[in-house]
Amino acid sequence: MKPNLRSITGSRLLDILTIFVVLVFLFPYLFMVSSAFKSRLETFAYPPIFWGFTPTLEHFENIFNDMHILFYMKNSTIIAVCSTLLTILISIPATYSFARFRFRNKEGIAYGFLFLQMVPGISIVFALFFIARSLDLFDTHIFLIVVYLLWNVPYAIWMMRGFVEGIPVELEESAMVDGASRFKAFRLITLPLMAGGVAATAILIFIGVWNEFSLAFFLTSTNARTMPTTIAFFMTHSGIKWGPMFATATIGTLPVVIFALIVRRYFISALTFGAVKG
Amino acid sequence: MTARNTIPRRRPEWLAPAVLILPAFAVVFTIAAYSAFSLLQLSTVKLTFGEPFRNAETVGLQNYQWLLTNQHSTFWATLRVTVTYLLGTLIPELLLGFAIALLLNRKMRGNSLFTAVLVIPIVLMPSMVGLIGRLYFSYDGLVNYFFDILTGIRHNWYGKDLALLAVILVDVWEWTPFFILILLAGLQTLPVEPFEAARVDGASRWQSFTLITLPLMLPLVLTTLILRFMDVLRLFDVIFVMFAGGPGTTTTTLPLYVYRTTLVQRDVGRGSAASVMLIVIIVSLTVILIKARERIKFEA
Repeated sequence: MKPNLRSITGSRLLDILTIFVVLVFLFPYLFMVSSAFKSRLETFAYPPIFWGFTPTLEHFENIFNDMHILFYMKNSTIIAVCSTLLTILISIPATYSFARFRFRNKEGIAYGFLFLQMVPGISIVFALFFIARSLDLFDTHIFLIVVYLLWNVPYAIWMMRGFVEGIPVELEESAMVDGASRFKAFRLITLPLMAGGVAATAILIFIGVWNEFSLAFFLTSTNARTMPTTIAFFMTHSGIKWGPMFATATIGTLPVVIFALIVRRYFISALTFGAVKG
Repeated sequence: MTARNTIPRRRPEWLAPAVLILPAFAVVFTIAAYSAFSLLQLSTVKLTFGEPFRNAETVGLQNYQWLLTNQHSTFWATLRVTVTYLLGTLIPELLLGFAIALLLNRKMRGNSLFTAVLVIPIVLMPSMVGLIGRLYFSYDGLVNYFFDILTGIRHNWYGKDLALLAVILVDVWEWTPFFILILLAGLQTLPVEPFEAARVDGASRWQSFTLITLPLMLPLVLTTLILRFMDVLRLFDVIFVMFAGGPGTTTTTLPLYVYRTTLVQRDVGRGSAASVMLIVIIVSLTVILIKARERIKFEA
């Protein structure tokens, strides 16, 4: 059979188009990272400088020494890690209940959680501001950690429910026939099998909290300020300090990009609350 | 009497699931109820931001009434911006996303690398995305550079005419990959048989696309649209950092309106009333969309 020359060149063209499209989506990120290593004048150059500049670490030195970026990274890490762990701890029993038991109004309650998840942060942030002031918890880590649970717990329940339902209930039942209690069957069989899903959920919640802006911005001032809200420091009266800003963005997004690539297998379920399996 | 003869006291069936759900339920609904109570209370008072709450003066539903009917209220203009923003982001993201998903749904080396790359815009810190967007859309920025090369014209993206478009383009860059990844996952799990049968019957590629692929993908497309709809409607950070709702009110979507009323005009009461309306709009529209989607699923 003769190879169909037209369809081969056609698919070559499509290959090239695909690569081009993907590069278009990658380019703004790459340009951001490379700008973190440019000198001030190179950042503003027109036409923009894409390569051939001498990389400098001055902006990184600046944000670590003068802007104390490590302090904000520490705050972000404390809040994200604590809120994530608390979420998982609270959500696992609830998830198991939704996945394995039958009870009245189950789907109604599940949707109740989902609707609370929909509430925009900005719509209750000022109410939370007054609450924080009255409880004397304004600008504390603990207040953010707890408040984030409102969004994290429903998300975790919807996410993990699919993972538990994907594990055959027969495995637990056979353990129970062999004399294990329900809890023991869960601990020895279901929990290890859902570990991957739990880890993926945890990482995605971590990313969400790490990136969260509006609550962190309006509910903290100096003590519990997180990474995403440091953008305010770059907007000065004499204009925006782009170099340090690019350096901060590069460092602040790095862990998230790495984490996201680790859990790529779960990413589709993550984006759709477990509604779609990737 | 031996233990064997006693009837074991059975625990009621609802007890186990109830106990397991209780911690999650208690935490989430306590926070929600507390915030809801506080928000509703704030929406019925007159209070300048920065003053203590004891200075608040109860005004009933006047804040709502003012927002909806007063001639100086920009609430309806805000809704118009919000709808433009919704359509301006969702339609191109869906069309581009679907097209690119089809493009990626071919046997080709490097496909898994490509999908990995597409994850990046979605997980970047939105506040940083906003700030970067501000630089890229500046007069000497990246976007104008490419416009200059292609058309010879540079635009003022910070001006009244183009600011909303700039914000929309940033969202399209950030979230088209969301459609690509989900729709690609859907395309890859489509059954093979209908396509083979269609080919045997002599259907063209276009016919099998419109008659088989599209109907089979419809539920997934709707799910993706609903999820994005919710997120676009509550998006705050990117627009806030890029233009803070300005110039004028050209990029003031509902979430930005809440912020500007509460913190810029320092009117806590009206800001809270706007918040309540935002929540009502987002939840009720999403419920309607979910219901509509379920109906389509049954008919399909």
